[in-house]
Amino acid sequence: MLNNQQIFEAWLAGKLTTAECEQQLQSDTEWYGRFLTAQQLQRHAKSPTFTAVPDIDTSQMFRQQWGGRRTKTAWWPKLSVGMSAMALIFSISPLQLQLEDGALALRWNQNNSVQQQQQLTTMLASFQQEQQQYLQQQLLNQQQQQATQLVLLKDYMTENEQKARRGDMIELVEYLNQQRQSDWQYWQDNVQPTQARLDYNSSYQPNRTKTGVNKP
Amino acid sequence: MFKRSDESLINKALDGDERAWHQLVSRYQSMLYHYGLRLMGNPDDARDLLQDVLMVLCRNLAQFRGDSSFKTWLFGIANYRAMDMLRKRKPTQDIDDSPDLFNDDEPSQEARLHGQQTQKIVQQQLKYLPADQRLVVELRFYQQFTFDEIADQLAISSNTVKSRFYAALDKLRTQLEVAHVEQSANF
Repeated sequence: MLNNQQIFEAWLAGKLTTAECEQQLQSDTEWYGRFLTAQQLQRHAKSPTFTAVPDIDTSQMFRQQWGGRRTKTAWWPKLSVGMSAMALIFSISPLQLQLEDGALALRWNQNNSVQQQQQLTTMLASFQQEQQQYLQQQLLNQQQQQATQLVLLKDYMTENEQKARRGDMIELVEYLNQQRQSDWQYWQDNVQPTQARLDYNSSYQPNRTKTGVNKP
Repeated sequence: MFKRSDESLINKALDGDERAWHQLVSRYQSMLYHYGLRLMGNPDDARDLLQDVLMVLCRNLAQFRGDSSFKTWLFGIANYRAMDMLRKRKPTQDIDDSPDLFNDDEPSQEARLHGQQTQKIVQQQLKYLPADQRLVVELRFYQQFTFDEIADQLAISSNTVKSRFYAALDKLRTQLEVAHVEQSANF
């Protein structure tokens, strides 16, 4: 629990809002009065001031006191820039620093581009060979796959052909049966009555069956 | 734009860099002058105080160790010089003789507004506070120092600072009430 002084000081320190502080101090005339006065002072302190600042010769003061000193410049920024420039030259130029057999050698390697060209040629040849091998393998795979597919196609066509032939034969048989049925029907409708009439008129009827139907 | 720290400017100034010194001065010059105006009550004394503080600062720049902020250290010097000047001031000098910081020659409408009048009254009444109380009010409200920082600057205890601060508030409250009554009577 804070007392009024602590509340007021918390507000001054910005830990309490004006509304909170006002609410808590309202009951105490003394502290509330201080709070209101402090608010007036704060407003006054925040109001802008436009009074011109007089010109004071501070250069003279400085020169009298410190003018004798020579400006010291730091050495490390220059060193840093120098090292950076050196690193840049090393990386751009064909200068090479190599450690061989415990000896550090600094070389101005002008054949660098020839070596690079050779390396490039070797790499290209290797790449070409790899590509050819890959293409051959692909071709072989393709041929095998094609042969398999042809066999499958042949089987499929043969089977289809057989099915078609069987169907044709069935159709032919059915057609023949229909023809026979049709012939028989025609005979029954046209020929048989005539035959029967002829037989009925003759005295001799050697082919008559029990049912009265004569076979052709 | 990259802003150099006070410490960096001080180091450069100590190495003889005049530009760093000017940068450091320009950072606090206005603050110090207005502090002087409020505390001393007139522009001449404020100017003298500013010049005095800057001279002391220039002379003692190497003594800044960074134990506190530069502003705290600088206002420590300013407080000492201001109190010294206030002590040396002629006892016969009437405080009412000192001009107001608000310019009465400007007959703007805004100046007639109540808020502006209140600000003027506050400014006037601050002059009637005892110097030690006025200083604490100045440092707390206008320079935004904490009680502990003010105690460090004035080399007194924090409780003494608070005691002066609350005494100043009580006195100022009474003065402001009287001033408001008088102002109302004049209208």
